[in-house]
Amino acid sequence: MLKIAAGFVAGIAVTGAAAWTMAGGLMFNERVSPFGVEETVARIQHNIQATGNGWTLSGLRNPARAVQTDGGNTLPVLMVEACSTTYSKPILNDDSVRYLSILMPCKISVYKKNDGKVYIGTMNAGLMGKMFGPLVGDVMGKVAEDQQKFLVMDPTKPAPPLIVPKAGGEGAGGGGGGGGGC
Amino acid sequence: MREKHTRGALLGLLAGALALTVHLSWSANDPAPAPAAAPAKAAEGGKAAPQPGSVQLRAARTTADHSKFKELQQDFKSGPEVTKACLSCHTEAAKQVHKTKHWTWEFLNPDNGQKLGKKHVINNFCTAVPSNYAFCTACHVGYGWKDANYDFKSETNVDCLVCHDTTGDYKKLPGLAGHPAYKQMEFPPKSGRQVPAVDLQEVAQKVGATSRATCGACHFLGGGGDAVKHGDLDTSLKNPKRYLDVHMDANGLNFSCGTCHATKGHNIPGSRYTPTGKDDGGTHMRGKVDESNPATCQSCHGGKPHKGKQNGMITDKLNEHTEKIACQTCHIPQYARGNKPTKMSWDWSTAGKLKDGKPFTVKDSAGHESYATIKGNFTYESDVVPDYMWLNGKVKYTLLGDPVNPNGVTEINHYYGSAEDGKSRIWPVKIFRGKQPYDLETKSLLVPHTAAEYGVKDDAAFWQNFKWDAALKAGAEAAGQPFGGKFDFVKTEMTWPITHMVAPKEDALTCTQCHSRSGRLQKVEGIYMPGRDGKPWLDWIGWLAALGTLAGVIFHGGLRIYLANRKAG
Amino acid sequence: MSGNSTKIYVFKVFERIWHWSQAALIIFLLLTGFEIHGAYANFGFKTAVIYHTTAAWTLVGLWVFAIFWHLTTGEWRQYIPTLQKVDAMIKYYLTGIFTNAPHPFRATRLRKHNPLQRLAYLAVMLAIGPLIWFTGWFYLFYGSWADWGMDKYLSLEWVAFFHTVAAFMMLVFLIAHLYLTTAGHTPTSHIKAMITGWEEVDAEEPAAPAK
Repeated sequence: MLKIAAGFVAGIAVTGAAAWTMAGGLMFNERVSPFGVEETVARIQHNIQATGNGWTLSGLRNPARAVQTDGGNTLPVLMVEACSTTYSKPILNDDSVRYLSILMPCKISVYKKNDGKVYIGTMNAGLMGKMFGPLVGDVMGKVAEDQQKFLVMDPTKPAPPLIVPKAGGEGAGGGGGGGGGC
Repeated sequence: MREKHTRGALLGLLAGALALTVHLSWSANDPAPAPAAAPAKAAEGGKAAPQPGSVQLRAARTTADHSKFKELQQDFKSGPEVTKACLSCHTEAAKQVHKTKHWTWEFLNPDNGQKLGKKHVINNFCTAVPSNYAFCTACHVGYGWKDANYDFKSETNVDCLVCHDTTGDYKKLPGLAGHPAYKQMEFPPKSGRQVPAVDLQEVAQKVGATSRATCGACHFLGGGGDAVKHGDLDTSLKNPKRYLDVHMDANGLNFSCGTCHATKGHNIPGSRYTPTGKDDGGTHMRGKVDESNPATCQSCHGGKPHKGKQNGMITDKLNEHTEKIACQTCHIPQYARGNKPTKMSWDWSTAGKLKDGKPFTVKDSAGHESYATIKGNFTYESDVVPDYMWLNGKVKYTLLGDPVNPNGVTEINHYYGSAEDGKSRIWPVKIFRGKQPYDLETKSLLVPHTAAEYGVKDDAAFWQNFKWDAALKAGAEAAGQPFGGKFDFVKTEMTWPITHMVAPKEDALTCTQCHSRSGRLQKVEGIYMPGRDGKPWLDWIGWLAALGTLAGVIFHGGLRIYLANRKAG
Repeated sequence: MSGNSTKIYVFKVFERIWHWSQAALIIFLLLTGFEIHGAYANFGFKTAVIYHTTAAWTLVGLWVFAIFWHLTTGEWRQYIPTLQKVDAMIKYYLTGIFTNAPHPFRATRLRKHNPLQRLAYLAVMLAIGPLIWFTGWFYLFYGSWADWGMDKYLSLEWVAFFHTVAAFMMLVFLIAHLYLTTAGHTPTSHIKAMITGWEEVDAEEPAAPAK
């Protein structure tokens, strides 16, 4: 009996440990982009604008610039921010999940790593949404679907221009401005 | 990735807790809060008092105010007139300049007798000088070089101002054979933009030491534009911040080019034609005659540059690395870090396309030309992770008449070096990939006639008529090369050692970036690197032996338990 | 299990401290060493190198003490190899252990290791040990090869190779050793002995009880 109980506890512990170490990997995705940093960002931006469902660009952040201003180096990072009131409104209108505004706007990060390759980092919105009840799960599921469309890269299409928000969006880690209102 | 997340989260929590504790302890015990002092100090750093070596101080050191010289108080009509005035005091200057490759554009490589220099070398950017003199010689330290019959003996043809200008107003325009604009002119031709005439008197009266801006007027713009050619030299180095170059930091050490390229008699040391692969000479000492390259890192920092503060074990290890690794390899983590992308490839074979009968350009996402009718296709990249190779300082170029490799890649310049020769270190390099014309009969590179003299209509110039045959014929003629009329394009690679844009020490590469299976030095051969190398078969045998032993004892133990239970049962 | 057992004092305080700190250091050296070898990432290369080197020097220090202790106390004799009863030991591990046969070797203060142990530990100390120390030493002082005039005769590739070979041998030994600690009078008697110094052994069959 003792052995069975011990085995049970050990099983739970192992599962817990596995879940703990894997959670980060499940919540976020990373993939290699076939294009340079700017072109990857530009293609994502244009995909976002073409997706519909109320999606607008709400900012482009360059945290690497802030590091440079402080006298240090880091490889390029650009964060594309996008927002759709279609999806943000229901969450913002529900007091019980309003704190999830912390996840807004929707972000996609494009960065280079030391192997010289460009990567796209995204949040696993679908899985994360499921943790917060049916409303959020439903909305985030749709966001996840759209997010897949943001990342479709068609190399036969020419490189679109990067969209740099006007209101000081490129400043030292400076923020949004530019796009639509979330 | 997962590991990092969990560890990151834990660290974050820890840091948060720590910050909170620190904050509380400050607010509790410290009536004059320390945190306020730190930002104030940081803010001051931005506009600090002139540092040693700054422009103001250097100016204060000179004993001559050139604006008070009678010789310079005249209405100069041309550059050579200014030079004449300069030479009335600096009697030997032109003779010194005449001996340098900045003047001759010629260099005899003592290692292999190859005739190099801009006049002879073919690259895979704008390719070559002959037939394009008036354009290219905008970067010659002289006036009037517009064809092969230039007078290299003339002292007044030396251009003093291009290196000694301090105003920033003196600009030599391509197409004017090394002259600046003496009257207002439209430049580039037909662009509608106007370039004002240079005030020669003003420039002449304000001459001074060379600076990052004067050297950079050519070396930052090589290859046809800002940041195009070198990757580690571009206009971001005019006033660099600390992150970009710790030595040239305008608010810090504020080195000029000449601080390292310490020049005697106008002959500037530190050239890519005969680079120093491995400097074992130690630091240069004042008063001691030392003819070795003063522009190496070791000439100031010595051979064991890493000092104390960190773990002594690591300090020693790092100093051992200097035997095999160039300083640049770790201390220039990426090049083109000044937010100015450098050109990575140039495909001439697509040049000449017209849209509605007119030349056109296409821009990439970042707004740089990815296609231009006059030049073909390009790619740009910033913050580039370098390639790495052994380099001992010996170089061989593919020159006019040398065979190319039509089926593979032709090396424009081949840098020698190996792990075994004892003279090499591992260096970071930029490899620039091109595709350029070659002669199908002679199998050697061709040099197109691209640019004409300013205001001259020239049907053979590629940049006017976009016709390869005429441009290649004219180019071959000017270079004294046979041309049968049949040509194609060949893939080429040109290697550029990276040595500028030295990052602050805290941004040097970490160990893991090379000591790992797929690290930066993955392709470098001839050395054993822990973490990267090993014998896969040994690992197989080793792990199999360990696993086998494990399986054996599990079997043995299982049997014991099973038999013991059966007996008990 | 057999009820006929008795206890004798086998391992002195120094030996026990030596054993356990050596065990901890060797396991730590294996962990950091295989990270330096590129098998996995945990501490990070730099930290692993610092830890590995520090642990190695600590182990050197420990060995200096241990050698001194063994020489002065005469305990080194415990490792003199013998083939006597080796066959019996092998037979025991292959068959007797399953049938609960009596252990063919009876530890005493003067002969604390069974013949297989003697051979194994001697191999560790005379083969794996020197191999790991020599290669480790050269590895550590790679920067001084030229000063010693040895750079022509050595290559880091082979120094590292044999260091790795020795590490794998140590790993195999560790696994086997860990298991065989359960092969005493009772599964835990060896381990208890290494902790307390007192080993539970089969009571002597023919003669009278020990106490």
